[in-house]
Amino acid sequence: MTASVETGADLVAPLASRRLARLRHLDLVGLVITLVTVVGAVLWAFPLYWGLVTTFKPEYEVVRPGVELWPQHFTLENYAHVLLQTKIGLWYVNSLITSGAVTIIVVMMAAGAGYAISQLEFPGRRFFWWMILASFMIPIPALIVNHFILMSQLRVINTLAGVVGPQLIAPVTVIIYKQFFDSVPKDFREAAVIDGASEFQLLFRIYLPMNWGVTTALAIITFIAAWNLFLWPFLAVSSEDKMNITVGITQVHDAFGVSYGRDLAVAMLAAMPVAVIYLIFQRRVTQAIMLSAGIKG
Amino acid sequence: MSAVAAKNGEAAAPHVELRRVTKRYGPVTAISDLSLTVDKGSFTALLGPSGCGKSTLLRMIAGLEPITAGQCFIDNLDVTDVPPAQRRIAMVFQSYALYPHMTVRQNIAFSLSVAGQPKKVQNERALEVARILQLEPYLDRRPAELSGGQRQRVAIGRALVRKPEVFLFDEPLSNLDAKLRVQMRLELAKLHADLGTTMIYVTHDQTEAMTLADKIVVLDKGVISQVGSPLELYNAPANKFVAAFIGSPSMNFFPVDIAAINGRTASVVLPGGRTVEIGIAAGAGARSAELGVRPEHLTVVDPKDPAAAFAGAVAIIERLGNSTILYIETAVGQLIVEGEGDLDAKSGQTVGLRLNQSHARLFGATGATL
Repeated sequence: MTASVETGADLVAPLASRRLARLRHLDLVGLVITLVTVVGAVLWAFPLYWGLVTTFKPEYEVVRPGVELWPQHFTLENYAHVLLQTKIGLWYVNSLITSGAVTIIVVMMAAGAGYAISQLEFPGRRFFWWMILASFMIPIPALIVNHFILMSQLRVINTLAGVVGPQLIAPVTVIIYKQFFDSVPKDFREAAVIDGASEFQLLFRIYLPMNWGVTTALAIITFIAAWNLFLWPFLAVSSEDKMNITVGITQVHDAFGVSYGRDLAVAMLAAMPVAVIYLIFQRRVTQAIMLSAGIKG
Repeated sequence: MSAVAAKNGEAAAPHVELRRVTKRYGPVTAISDLSLTVDKGSFTALLGPSGCGKSTLLRMIAGLEPITAGQCFIDNLDVTDVPPAQRRIAMVFQSYALYPHMTVRQNIAFSLSVAGQPKKVQNERALEVARILQLEPYLDRRPAELSGGQRQRVAIGRALVRKPEVFLFDEPLSNLDAKLRVQMRLELAKLHADLGTTMIYVTHDQTEAMTLADKIVVLDKGVISQVGSPLELYNAPANKFVAAFIGSPSMNFFPVDIAAINGRTASVVLPGGRTVEIGIAAGAGARSAELGVRPEHLTVVDPKDPAAAFAGAVAIIERLGNSTILYIETAVGQLIVEGEGDLDAKSGQTVGLRLNQSHARLFGATGATL
């Protein structure tokens, strides 16, 4: 009896110490990972924090040397100025119209194109598919001069339509739709065909509703991307009344030049809807980013 | 012939007819020069192993698969190039193909809805169909909230609501568990008796075909092997393929020599040296053949019994309650024997087998029944 107890203790001791060692080892790795993540998060979040804090500082505090993490004199003057003295309301409306139009048109077009390429047999189907694949391998900024010339020939420069136009090129959205439609079992299609459904009914009553998740995810990231876009709206529009909120930031200056506090206040206000959308649809946005990342490789 | 046709005093008219139909996929021929008629109001099963072309045949009748050569008629109308929706057919798929985002009601009424029927009509018809199929309590549920059997019924309901001329079933019960399959089989039989509509049913399960159909079409590699009633196929198979495919457990086959042929009987020498007389219809001049005998036509007897045609050792015993299946190792290979439920046998025991020769069949070198 005694002997067996001793044996047991002999066995337990090294086992315990080994387990402890393993635990310590795990903890260390966990600690390092946590630290790296925290440092990363701080590095990522600090500019946002810095921007936000700056909007509550009077301009002389903003421009004086040194790092001040908190405003000495808290003020809402920057917000008051941009909300009352600029056309920010109009810019918001313009952003809403252009981003909304881009979202709706892109989703409808991409769903239609994705459906056609996935489900219909027509001459040139492969050619169109390769065109779409090829077109997303060319970065949009490389085409921006061509876009400008095209839009100016269409006489839509300096209009909201001109802002929307080139943003409708969305090959990735088509590719994602095509892949989702490909994966719908063909029995659904055949059952509906026997029931007398037309191609439009098939798309709008079966294929799209069966993939609502994808549509909402794609709509959200298309909207966010259109809302955040700066370069093209900046080039396409020169009159202040037609500007998006991102471009509007460039207009917030007075006789004394640029005021950083005010600029950042517009930027914060511009980012707010996107932040809200992101917070509400967090899961969908992540899903959409993963979808498009999967395709972009 | 269907009950309805008989009631109306009509002769069975071909309702669906395939004339010299061929289907090729590139260089592969799936169906070759096949002709088939399906009587009005009949329940016809297309039976065969996977890859025999039975689903392709059904899909060609449905219009989902273009016909490479030949013609398809429904109700004496050439529908070869008519789109599926205008053929007045309805199809129930193996996967049910229920739209997951729609309720049972919407699924059932889908065809009416795409045809632009008013909501009121859609609701009435959906309710009517739901009543027939006992789906009323589930009308507002989605397919994901239903059991397998209920989904199956919704799929049938979706077909029913169109009031089709012909029902097409593509292995509709194969996704159900054994017990539910038996239950749904009965419901389908009842549905056919009630509606009297022509039904064409694809299956690889011979029990389903035998129990449901009044006519079975056995397909092998894209060619019709035999068409007949379930008992015709069972008792008088046209060839070895049908003989082997119909019946469970499967028929036993072994090679035999033919000693002499006298008109409609052949004297066959069994491997043990014993001679038996087997009825034939063809095959004069054949010297050797394969003898086919169903498990229930072999009887276990004492090995010393003078009537015993073979002797062998019991390898495996399967007790099913109402019957006993024995796998017996004999000089001609393993033979399957079906006996009484309380059959007295032990594994390893040597037994004699008596052959019920009036039920045995001879198959020639090509596989055709002699």
